[in-house]
Amino acid sequence: MESLRAKKTEYITGTIEVSLSALTGFLIAGVILELMGYNALNIFNIMITGGVSDLSHLAGKSAPLVMTGLAFSIPLMAGVFNIGGESQLYMGALAGLVGTFFTGSIPIGLTLGFIAGAFWGWLMAALRVYRGINEVITAIMLNWTAYYFIIYVIIKYLPNPEKPYMSVQLSPHEMFSMTTAFWLSVLGALVAYYILYYTDLGYKMRVSGYNPKTALYSGYNPDKSILFSMALGGGLAGFGGALLVIGESSAIDTTMSSLYGLGFTGIGVGLLGRNNPIGIIFSALFFADLIIGGQWVELETGAPPYVSDTITGIIIIALSAPYAYRKLVQLYRLRRR
Amino acid sequence: MMADIVNLLSNTFLSMTPLLLAAIGEVIAEKSGVVNIGLEGIFLITALTSTVATFYTNDPLIGLTIGVIIGLLSGVLHGFISVYLRGDQIIAGVGFNSFAYGLSILTLIFLWGDYSSSPKIPKINPWSVEIAGTNMVIPQLLVVALIVAFASWYILEKTGLGLKLRACGEDPRAAEAMGVNVSKTRFYATVIGAGLAGLGGAYLSIGWLGSFTRTISAGRGFIALADVAFANWNPLIAILGAFVFGFADASGTYLPIMLQKITGTQFTAETYLFLTIPYLTTLIFVAAIMKKVKMPRALGKPYIKE
Repeated sequence: MESLRAKKTEYITGTIEVSLSALTGFLIAGVILELMGYNALNIFNIMITGGVSDLSHLAGKSAPLVMTGLAFSIPLMAGVFNIGGESQLYMGALAGLVGTFFTGSIPIGLTLGFIAGAFWGWLMAALRVYRGINEVITAIMLNWTAYYFIIYVIIKYLPNPEKPYMSVQLSPHEMFSMTTAFWLSVLGALVAYYILYYTDLGYKMRVSGYNPKTALYSGYNPDKSILFSMALGGGLAGFGGALLVIGESSAIDTTMSSLYGLGFTGIGVGLLGRNNPIGIIFSALFFADLIIGGQWVELETGAPPYVSDTITGIIIIALSAPYAYRKLVQLYRLRRR
Repeated sequence: MMADIVNLLSNTFLSMTPLLLAAIGEVIAEKSGVVNIGLEGIFLITALTSTVATFYTNDPLIGLTIGVIIGLLSGVLHGFISVYLRGDQIIAGVGFNSFAYGLSILTLIFLWGDYSSSPKIPKINPWSVEIAGTNMVIPQLLVVALIVAFASWYILEKTGLGLKLRACGEDPRAAEAMGVNVSKTRFYATVIGAGLAGLGGAYLSIGWLGSFTRTISAGRGFIALADVAFANWNPLIAILGAFVFGFADASGTYLPIMLQKITGTQFTAETYLFLTIPYLTTLIFVAAIMKKVKMPRALGKPYIKE
């Protein structure tokens, strides 16, 4: 009974935290927009309704975000900050494109995407475990390395003779629909959920993240959990990159505009989903709505689509201090008494 | 050859200045126990605000001042979240980076209708010394950064104030028992650190590039963070780190130009490969040295008074 009550309180605080953070995001972005002379309410209205107007598009857009959200949250449970989802997604997108383009097989592209991302994630973890470098620094250095490396590979080895600034393109029969991409990402989230909560590996990972010393005393090495969680998270981000290329973009452009930012948004997705794979699916839909809505805003009002980046940033900042919300709830309770 | 070396050194001096300023600032904040991963965001937002201020006043010095003020204010935000709201410092920093990225491009489009760069603005011309027939460039702010490095090393390691600040990052409970106000110390260390990063960010646009572009920072904030670890939290060694990483940055752009001249070939795709040099160099150097450094023990942990 007592634990049920504790769980209920936790859900309530969680919901309050998430909604207040989202609200803060919109509020501050609204003030900024008003200062710039736009009608903030109108813009938010377009942002939110714009995304929902085409559900299969919304679902497809959210697929890579579900994956990068998991890529952030799974390592976080093992106690590592994976800011490298960005480049893990890049590597997966490249591997997915190469795999499917040269073999004509979608499963091969998806598998290669997962492997490429997993390797990139493992590399970041290995540098932390074996060399002691803070994973945040490693991730950003490898993000930029991957960014320029992929542009190099595309221009040098995979140029599209008909379209400059584009890589070779997958033909329609080498692709699937955006809805399929979404369901595959949901499947990925369910698998992640299963691994985290129903397997030995997942249990060890969570214990290591909660308290590395406990893990050591129970006889297993928290470093192994770090390596595994980063390989799994990276693999999922890479899988997301492959989903994006095979389900939506069909090619990668040399300015990387189809890929840029999805990994960073994943951090917001993971946090707003409270690191729960099922929560992450919903929070990915929310962020996908913001991104699509941002493009609608540009079409209809001429306001730049970067409003969504700004809101994402504020939401993440607002989510960084759960203590503040707990304090608020306490204050509210005291008042009611 | 001599001319190439002078040019490469000039570019190194230009590139190491913001790295050094931000790294010293971060050393001060981290020694007190607060990690600010939002240096990248501070670079972006102060490079932008100082550009805007210079654009409207035509005075780069006003731009510089505004940059520092905005840097200090970002420090107030981060310090408030980290110290008083006991927030997660990494997450707050990541969020700030994302916010700064969105906001700076939003402002860029709002003011000048351009998605990638601002118009040219007057900048602070660096000193120039002629060596072997080539002009060697020395930015004034590099000299400032060197003075700040020595001063902050002295204060941190040789004064009572420095001892108190370091105690907050090593063992906040003991610091409190010593009569130090841990929260206040951490807050001000964060604000000052961010102010120095702001000076570096302002330099990016008005001391170096002469305009604001959306990729003006390009991971430099994180290279500065790497420099802190490389330097073992010592502002003096941070000078060496900034030089090494600045040199790698300069080589990334200068090497292909040099090689094209020597071999007579024209690079296209390869240019992008050279651009990975600064990031890989940073990673390799930090990987080589990291096992030997010791970070402040209470770094990143909120202090909760009993």
